[in-house]
Amino acid sequence: MRFSVLLLASALTAYSQPVNAPWFVSNLYPVLEKANCRTCHATDGVAGPTNLVFPDAEASDAEREIFGLQLQRWVNPKSPADSLLRKKPTNRLKHSGGMRIAQNGPEEKLLEVWVNYLAGLSPQELLALTPPIPKRRVAATETLRRLTHSQYNNTVRDLLGDASNPAAQFPPEDFINGFKNQIQGQSLSPLLAENYAAAAEKLAVSAVRRQAKELTFCKPTGPTDGACREQFIRQFGRRAFRRPLEAEEQGRYSRLFIAEAKRANNFWSGIEATVEAMLQSPNFLFRLERTTNPKWKSYARASRLSYFFWDTMPDEPLLALAQSGKLDDPAGMESQARKMLANDQSKVGLDEFIAQWFRFDRVTNQLKDRRLFPMFTRELALAMNEETRRFLHHLVWSNANFMEFVSASYSFVNADLATLYQFPAPTEPFAKVQFPSQSMRSGILTHGSVLVQTSKPVETSPTARGLFVREQLLCQHVPQPPPGVNTNLPEVKEDHPMTNRERLANHLTNESCASCHKLIDPIGFGLEKFDAAGRYQEKFVAHAAQGREEAKKGKVDMELPIDISGQVAGLRNSEFQNPPQLGKILSESDACRACVAKQVFRYCLGRTETRADQPVLDHALKAFTNSQFQFKELMIAIVTGSEL
Amino acid sequence: MSNISTRPTNISRRKFLSGATIAGSAIRVGLPPLAAMFNGNGTAWAAGQNAAVQSKIETRFVLWFNGNGIVEKYWIPSETGRDFSMTPCLAPLETFKEDIHIVTGLDNPAARMPGPGNDHHRSMSALMSGTQFTGRGAGGPSIDQVIAQKIGGTSRFRSLQIGVSQESFGESIQRNMSWAGYDRPLPPEMLPHKLFDRLFGAREDGWVKRKHSILDAVREDLAGLKKNLGAEDTGKVDEHLQSIRDMERAIDGLPANYRKVEQPDYDGDMKDWPRIARLQSDLLAHAFASRQTRVASYMLTKCQGLSRFPWLGYTHGRHHDYTHGDAPSNSPGKLAGQRTMRDICRWHAEEFAYLCNKLRSINEGERTVFDNTCLLYVHEHAEANDHKNNGMAAIIAGHANPKLVTGVHSKMTGTVADLYMTVADDVMNADIQKFPTATQKLGGLTS
Repeated sequence: MRFSVLLLASALTAYSQPVNAPWFVSNLYPVLEKANCRTCHATDGVAGPTNLVFPDAEASDAEREIFGLQLQRWVNPKSPADSLLRKKPTNRLKHSGGMRIAQNGPEEKLLEVWVNYLAGLSPQELLALTPPIPKRRVAATETLRRLTHSQYNNTVRDLLGDASNPAAQFPPEDFINGFKNQIQGQSLSPLLAENYAAAAEKLAVSAVRRQAKELTFCKPTGPTDGACREQFIRQFGRRAFRRPLEAEEQGRYSRLFIAEAKRANNFWSGIEATVEAMLQSPNFLFRLERTTNPKWKSYARASRLSYFFWDTMPDEPLLALAQSGKLDDPAGMESQARKMLANDQSKVGLDEFIAQWFRFDRVTNQLKDRRLFPMFTRELALAMNEETRRFLHHLVWSNANFMEFVSASYSFVNADLATLYQFPAPTEPFAKVQFPSQSMRSGILTHGSVLVQTSKPVETSPTARGLFVREQLLCQHVPQPPPGVNTNLPEVKEDHPMTNRERLANHLTNESCASCHKLIDPIGFGLEKFDAAGRYQEKFVAHAAQGREEAKKGKVDMELPIDISGQVAGLRNSEFQNPPQLGKILSESDACRACVAKQVFRYCLGRTETRADQPVLDHALKAFTNSQFQFKELMIAIVTGSEL
Repeated sequence: MSNISTRPTNISRRKFLSGATIAGSAIRVGLPPLAAMFNGNGTAWAAGQNAAVQSKIETRFVLWFNGNGIVEKYWIPSETGRDFSMTPCLAPLETFKEDIHIVTGLDNPAARMPGPGNDHHRSMSALMSGTQFTGRGAGGPSIDQVIAQKIGGTSRFRSLQIGVSQESFGESIQRNMSWAGYDRPLPPEMLPHKLFDRLFGAREDGWVKRKHSILDAVREDLAGLKKNLGAEDTGKVDEHLQSIRDMERAIDGLPANYRKVEQPDYDGDMKDWPRIARLQSDLLAHAFASRQTRVASYMLTKCQGLSRFPWLGYTHGRHHDYTHGDAPSNSPGKLAGQRTMRDICRWHAEEFAYLCNKLRSINEGERTVFDNTCLLYVHEHAEANDHKNNGMAAIIAGHANPKLVTGVHSKMTGTVADLYMTVADDVMNADIQKFPTATQKLGGLTS
């Protein structure tokens, strides 16, 4: 009550001020913020495709003024009252986000003032009023990227010939922004530092023991053989730090070497200590994405290429290339990128990207009710990931249209998966199989890996499936349920069996749930003919709450028909009747194409994109589109396009 | 595992160390030879032997976390005051009734600030740090870390983070309970044999010196790197430096020949959470008794945890499913889910009681380690099904401070942060003075 009086008072002040862009910023903009418009109307929001995108939270007043004036696009100059800008937020015209601004209240009045003002502006006037676009903020400048656990393992394998995968014992990595390699998530806790130290010690000892000869090319004449020592530090340091050592570093490691070799009266103890120290050095654990040191720039480029394409350290030819300066011009960078993609090691790099993007970890960690899904074993879960892996590799390396990843009518299955999917058995494990005609399967949308990770132990979750499409395939961020909401679904009872669509009906009718769930659930409903283990089911099997006794008696669950029509709200003409139609809509949508580019960007750069990155993304999307959606072209455009 | 073993510790992982033990070697730096503080068996403080040391027996703090919430009617005693009965969930703590203070009615207001995340993310960040979820992690240091900053500085480990069940959704805020600061998780050590290595792994004589030379080189590398970075990255370098400093202290403070703690079995079932919990509790008790740390956090199950409970007979669903009434036995489903939750909450209390017991089994002079420890036991939510974050329940156990009133159930008006501040300052004498969302000390907790 008190609030609305206050609002009214502020509204009254608002009318006494001249209406212009600063008026918008101080009067209407706070109203729109309070209505949470920006949650969905953001670049990565679910309403992003409407092109009405709010400036981000840190935007300056000047940017907000420009935004206010640009809203003219949604104003009908002839009949301001019919403007979308007026009718959508008040839900006078059906708004996916529901009624954000109460009809006929003081807030709508403010909106009306602004709509009328915009309606009266000619294009020339608008242009004259629009302040110059403020200088873009520079991109995120954090540049230290810690090796991921997988990169650590691959790097010590290539550096020392040690395939013991020590990082498997490190504290597990967290997913941030959908990936494990995001700079924001790469803190270095004391526990991790201790793990690095313990691993370094073990690796150094075993390296010296196993293959002393390969570590250094000279034969030491004694514990303090200076020439051999300096040569080792120079050569090994260059590979460990992925760049030549500075003079002071050379000196530092010499001193360490000498102290330890003297103490043990053994040249190899010096080697051991040097290796152990270098493996704990920030110069080994972190790599520079950008650097102020001009001598290191080419090497930073080499590392970026190498960790992106190969998930490991640069090899000798790549370091030599960095040394020659050939990576400093874009053409050199691109030609090297192409060479590296042709190398088999790039398959390993792609594996890591795929496994994170499509959350293979969730598939292998899935738990299913053993009574209902006895076939869901760890082997089957691994086969599901393998299917997705083979399928995506096929698209990438055969230069196919990558957008088929959601719409393809074929896949790669082994005998177990063929049984699960009710396909004829493949000629050999993971051979390509064409889906039978009338199949409801469509690209990865219906891969076991995706269906299983978006289900609960017993039931499917249309909400989780819808979110998967929004987040992983459209790069849209859907807000979480507001605090305090009861998220329980109605219980299925024997005398009142319900499909998931019926159980989730409340999501779509209750105003506070509907604004988001309308964007999520109808996508997931389209996949309801696939159960929690990825099997096709013609009828929905409703499991009433049931105890072991009933299960033993072999109680029959209730079968209900399933309606699998749905919609991807926010995309044009996105109503679909079955999964293949959903796949086609996604495959042909700009939002999904742009999202593929964004995911590559985030993985490659270790961060989410900022506005300053838009030219890189635009360039990459163009290269992707022009090549008929060849994934390799997208990777090359991103890795070479973004500034170092 | 037995407490004491007479056979040499079996360290197979470092062959170069084999045969070398620290027995008999002069202990290095900082601490007095700890063996002198124990009696002939190495099991107890040598009573009366060294009055000065006796008087300085240090107090310890444990923050114990259980994922998901509780079922209030099975957890919260209906009576307040001294004359309360143990509820089904608290039954395992019956023998500790006079050693605990049950506090209910607490609010967790930061969980309700509008912002990113789901109810679990928001509650977790708020419960641990009193701050809003950042979208990735907690918005500030957790209470155990705030206390550790004050009282952990002279121990071998400023603090320990220990975990048990690994089954979770896998995001940072769900997997970690201790936070060094904004978005800086301190992951718990989940593997008993690795925790053992950190605490009791044997070292050869030259090891410490060598480690120092190596860390010196690493530190100089960090300083050199800093010159080549922008300001934004220096935070990461500083964090690494801090970790190096912590490690140097850990190297220096190697415990003397405190006792031979038996190495945990490598071969057991690594998903048998009750087994892991007991191994971890044993190691934590020995870490306290050997004065390696004063502060620990203990994450039995994860935030929004997904553990299965085969030893309780529940294999149908996962922890979080049960909170929302996913019922393993006959309908009405919600009730059955609640009964499952009752048993899960009872198991949480059982493992907590095990740690208390373990601490009580180790003598320190006239008292026991339990008598010199304060344990704070919290759940992610109050009523689990509703993600309720007011009316929260907590347990304070141990006698770290004679002023702590025990044997009581109190319903209090205040926030979880008020409780933290009271415990930190009035029980642990940590002098933290403030904590986000704390506005007052809670009356009735101390006398």
